[in-house]
Amino acid sequence: MALYRYFLKRLALTIPTLLGVSIIVFLLIHMIPGDPIDIMLGDRVTEAARLALEERLGLNEPLHIQYWQWFTSALHGDFGISIRSNQPVMEEILTRLPATIELTVVALLIAVFFGIYFGVSAARYRNTLIDQSLIGFSLLGVSIPIFWLGMMLIYLFAVMLGWLPVSGRLSMGVAIPTYTGLYLIDSLIAGQIGSFIDSVRHLLMPAVSLATVSLALVVRVTRSSMLDVLSEDYIRTARAKGVQERKVVYTHALKNAMIPVATVIGLQLAKLMGGAILTETVFSWPGIGRLLVSAINVRDYPVVQGVVFFVAFAFIAINIIVDLIYAYLDPRIRYE
Amino acid sequence: MFNELNQILRVFKRNKLAVVAFFIAVLLVILAVIGPFIAPYDPVEINLSARFEPGFWGGNTENLLGTDNLGRDIFSRILHGTGISLKVGYAVIAITAVVGLFIGLVSGYFGGVVDIVIMRFIDILLAFPPLLLALVIAATLGTGIEKAMLAIAIIYIPSLARIVRGSVFTVKEMPYVEASRAMGAGNTWIIIGHVLPNVLTPVIVYLTLLLGDAILYTAALGFLGVGIDPTTPEWGAMLSSGKDFLILGKWWITLFPGMMIFLAVLSFNLFGDGLREAVDSKLRMN
Repeated sequence: MALYRYFLKRLALTIPTLLGVSIIVFLLIHMIPGDPIDIMLGDRVTEAARLALEERLGLNEPLHIQYWQWFTSALHGDFGISIRSNQPVMEEILTRLPATIELTVVALLIAVFFGIYFGVSAARYRNTLIDQSLIGFSLLGVSIPIFWLGMMLIYLFAVMLGWLPVSGRLSMGVAIPTYTGLYLIDSLIAGQIGSFIDSVRHLLMPAVSLATVSLALVVRVTRSSMLDVLSEDYIRTARAKGVQERKVVYTHALKNAMIPVATVIGLQLAKLMGGAILTETVFSWPGIGRLLVSAINVRDYPVVQGVVFFVAFAFIAINIIVDLIYAYLDPRIRYE
Repeated sequence: MFNELNQILRVFKRNKLAVVAFFIAVLLVILAVIGPFIAPYDPVEINLSARFEPGFWGGNTENLLGTDNLGRDIFSRILHGTGISLKVGYAVIAITAVVGLFIGLVSGYFGGVVDIVIMRFIDILLAFPPLLLALVIAATLGTGIEKAMLAIAIIYIPSLARIVRGSVFTVKEMPYVEASRAMGAGNTWIIIGHVLPNVLTPVIVYLTLLLGDAILYTAALGFLGVGIDPTTPEWGAMLSSGKDFLILGKWWITLFPGMMIFLAVLSFNLFGDGLREAVDSKLRMN
């Protein structure tokens, strides 16, 4: 099967899922106890004003019509208006999205880069102190509550040592012109090295704590996959030919050890998206995770609904991309 | 059966780390039961004249682990919290087991339209990042430990149902199922008497590996303040109440509850890993 046909098949399977996700999100939010009108107007409200608002928001329509209106607008990127801020929900999401993307992507890069490097090192120096401490680290790392780890990092590096800022994305008074919304990139485009360093300093602790669990898993899988590969005949042949050990490990062995590692990395995206909600709360990171939690706490339903649907949508899209990458890496998948 | 258990136990005992984890896990269970009786103070009693008292490191013998921002005794709160976390963890296992088994058995045994509809629904649930799903369901159900249990169980039910369904597909083609049907047995009898006992092994392994994870999600909900009342001595909720006081140097409010979460999750995970290894090796031998 050609790759694009696999893609189309995968995409077609997504449509019912997406519809189902939207129905569940819509119904769940509607089941939340409490009347949205009361929250918007307070309880001292005339019956006329209540009816007028109900009419304006379409809340007097039957449920399936309300759903359909919401869903079709959502597909056009219109999630309604936030009760709290009176801003369009989509705008609220889009202004915070770059912060979340920056955090999760950097965490993913840390997990992948260091995870593979540590995993390869552990396999290469099997049963040495290096190997054992890396195994110990990965055992602890998969079980650590990242929100607690984040707080302990804050205490150590921000409060006690004063090396890093406690929270936020930038220091007071630092401004970066917006091109992409990703401060690391924008500050470089604008040529502001000082701002770049400032945003790196803010990003360091949140990204490391978010990355920890995934990092530990990547170390574990890379190590065991490398151990399998390193005992293969072609590795012995390569060594016998006199190929440099570094080259044997990083090109001959690692390439073949990558398929299970790539699978684990793909599975980390869900973990990171969930973890971002926690990390953003710990570090007051202005992303969509924090937007969601605060919207839940003040019962800003349109925002909760919009963010949940948006994230689920993004998650489905990312999963398709991950599947395509697998299908590209391992053509056998396409024929299943 | 007894022989099989012996075999599993033998392999399990070789994994020293898993054995240690098992004993810590047992200790936690004991603590969860006796905790409320040995706790020196009421876990929710506010004492504003004793806020932010350091514990034993400051020579405090009354509040061993110090007091929090409302003067509540952290040691007593942690002891009560052990019961809450373990209760939620085991309840999540029970709910997941019952509902997941039921859905998986029905879907796998009857197949056809029932199976297609159920599996589509499960795909939809799996399309959410797990924490996001638990968070929205907890928000919908409102505050309360029982509701949090349900919200967390919904994360695992789809995966368990899938595992069960897969095993049912293999089991229902077995000759003994054929034979039973030929002898006139009804569907309920076949499912409970023949299919269920033969799909239990993967279910038990999945459920053991889930406990640590469920405790972590409970703490996460408590920390985010969704579904769990922030005043309950739940470990995650305790972390949340200490968060703002870290910059004031009051580290003990967050250090100890977090260590308990870590210890509980770690020991249940290591125990689960060891058990899975032992069961796998037994399956390979057969």
